[in-house]
Amino acid sequence: MSRLTASDRLKRLLALLPWVAAREGPTVEEVCARFALETQDLLSDIALVSMVGIPPYSPGDLFDIVVEGGRVWVHMSPSFDRALRLTPEEALGLVAAGASLLAVPGADPDGPLARGIAKVAATLGVDADTTIDVDLGYASATVLRTLQQAGASRHRVRMDYYVHGRDERTTREVDPYRVYADHGQWYLVGYDHLRDEERLFRVDRVVDVDELDVTFEPPEEQRTLGLFEARADDPRVVLELEPEAAWVAEVYPVEAVHTRGDGRLHVTLAISAKPWLERLLLRLGPRARVVEVTGDKKLEKCAREAAQRVLARY
Amino acid sequence: MPSSEKLERLLNLTAALLETPKPLSAAEISKRVYGYPDEKLAFRRTFERDKDDLREMGIPLVLSEISGTDPPETGYRIPKDQYYLRDPGLEPDELAALHLAASTVRLDGIEGAGGLWKLGGLPTVTAAADIGPEVAPIPVDKRLVVLWDAANERKPVTFTYRDAERTVDPYRLDFQRDHWYVSGYDHLRDDERNFRVDRIEGEVIAGDRHGFDRPSTGVPGARVEPWQLGEGEPLLARVLVDAQQAAIAIGEAGTDSVVEERDDGSIVFEMSVTNVDGFRSFVLGFLEHAEVLSPPALRVDIIEWLRKL
Repeated sequence: MSRLTASDRLKRLLALLPWVAAREGPTVEEVCARFALETQDLLSDIALVSMVGIPPYSPGDLFDIVVEGGRVWVHMSPSFDRALRLTPEEALGLVAAGASLLAVPGADPDGPLARGIAKVAATLGVDADTTIDVDLGYASATVLRTLQQAGASRHRVRMDYYVHGRDERTTREVDPYRVYADHGQWYLVGYDHLRDEERLFRVDRVVDVDELDVTFEPPEEQRTLGLFEARADDPRVVLELEPEAAWVAEVYPVEAVHTRGDGRLHVTLAISAKPWLERLLLRLGPRARVVEVTGDKKLEKCAREAAQRVLARY
Repeated sequence: MPSSEKLERLLNLTAALLETPKPLSAAEISKRVYGYPDEKLAFRRTFERDKDDLREMGIPLVLSEISGTDPPETGYRIPKDQYYLRDPGLEPDELAALHLAASTVRLDGIEGAGGLWKLGGLPTVTAAADIGPEVAPIPVDKRLVVLWDAANERKPVTFTYRDAERTVDPYRLDFQRDHWYVSGYDHLRDDERNFRVDRIEGEVIAGDRHGFDRPSTGVPGARVEPWQLGEGEPLLARVLVDAQQAAIAIGEAGTDSVVEERDDGSIVFEMSVTNVDGFRSFVLGFLEHAEVLSPPALRVDIIEWLRKL
C-alpha cells in the first residue's frame, strides 16, 4: 500500500469516480494507469467507497461499485458525477507548466497544448494569454530545433558561433549532447571539435547550424560546465571597485577579493579575451579602475582605448 | 489502517454536506455522519481538522444560518455550484499535451498533478522521443498562487515592497530570467508598476472578488529590463546595433522593440528608458557596434560617461 495521506486519496477518488462512471466499464489496468494507482490500492479504495452513505445511513445508496471480469463499473448519486473544481494552486500549476512549454521557440501557438491551456483557463473564467506569460529566453526556432534533433539522433553539427568574449565569429563542428533552458537563456552542451573539449554554448549566439552526416556517442557522464573557465596562463587584472560596483564580485568568477579601509574592493579576475574586459570597464565607467595587470600589459589602457573607439561613432 | 478510516470519514462528510438540503449543525454532523468519535471534545478536534483538510483540497465548506431555527443556529454545507469543475471538454491530444507539460516542467514549490487527475487523469505516457527540450525547474512560491488567483478573480492585493505597503490591482504574472513578476496598478504610486514576486516582503493579502476592473485594452507583458527599473518619467530611446550583434541585441531587448531593419543587416531598436544606468550598460555591452541615435539627453550621457575613462 502506498503511503498517501487520506486527503491525497480522497482527492484522487473524487476525480476517479466520475471518470469511471462516465465510461462503460474501463479495465482495472486502465484506471490504475490513468490515476497512478497500484491495483491493490484501487481495490481497497473501491471497497471503502461502497461503504459510504449519507444519513439515514444505508450503504450503497450513493455509490454502487462493482469489479467484474477485470472491469470497473460505477453508478452513483449525481452529487459525485463531476470532478471537483481546480484549486488556484492546481490551475496555476497546469497553466504555468503549459505556458513554459509554449515558450519554447518554435512551439505551435495553435497546437493541442495551446488549445488545452485555453480550455482549462476558460473553465476558470480567465484568459491565460492575458494573465500569465513565461519567457525562457530568446533562441531561433530553427537553430533550436536543428540542435535538438541532431542531439536526439546523435548527429554532429557544423555551426557558426559568435564568441561574445572575443567579439568574433567562428565556424566549428560540435557533437550536441544536450539543449536546455535556464535563467532566461538557452544553452547547448557539446563536444567542441575546434578546441577539442566539452563546452557550454549559448544558443542565441549560434548564427547558423547544419546537421552533418557523422554520428557520435555521447559520454556516459557529463561534466557540469560554466560558460567561462579560467586557464592558468590567462592574464590577470586587479580592479578597484567603488561601493556601487561591488556587485561585480558576486556576478563574475573573481579569484580574490579584498575589502579596503575606504570601503572600496580590490578584485582579481582572469581575462581570456580583451573585449570582455573592455565591456566590463565601459559599463562600470568611473566606478572601477585597473590597478594591476599581470601577463598582458596592453590591458592597462584598454578601457580608454575602447572608450575612444565608441566615441568615434558619436 | 488510520488513513483508510479517515478517508472513509471525509468521504462520508463530503457526501452528507453535498446532499443535505439545509445546512447541518456540528451537533447533527457528530450524530449522523459515520466515523466521528462520540466524546464531544474529541469530535471537535477531529471535525476541525477535517474541515481544514477539505478546504485545502479546494472543497468549499460554507457556514451559514439554518433557516427556521430560533434562536438562530449555524450549520455547514457544500454548495454544489462552487464544488464542481466545469468540464473543459479536453480532447485526448490536448490532455496528453498538458500531461507532457506537467511532467516536463518542474514547478518547485507547488503540486500540479492533482489538477490533471480532475481533468481525467494521466493519459498514456508519451514516448521519450516526443519529449521536448529540458526546461530548468521554475520556482513557484505560495504568494504566486495568491497573486494568480487575485489576477483571475480581480481581487486587489496588499503587500510590502521596498519598505512601503502597497495596494495593487494585479493584472498579470510574467516569468523572466528565473523570476516571477506581477504587474498591475499600484495605488501608492498611482501608476502601473512591476514587482518582483520574490522581493515582496511577507505575505500577500487578497481583498474582495471583482474589486477592480481590468484595463479594456489588454495588459502588455511586463518585460522587465534593466533599463526599465526606475520609477521616473520614461525616455524613448532609439539605438542602432550593427548586423553582427543584431541577434544578441534582439535576445536582450525583445523582438517587439525592433523598429527598423536596415539593408546592411543592422537593426534599430526603440526602448522606453526609466533607468539610465541599465540603459547605458545595455548599449556599452556592444562596444563600438552600437550607437544611441536619440534622444540627445541619452547620447550626451554616453559621451560624458566615456570621456571620464
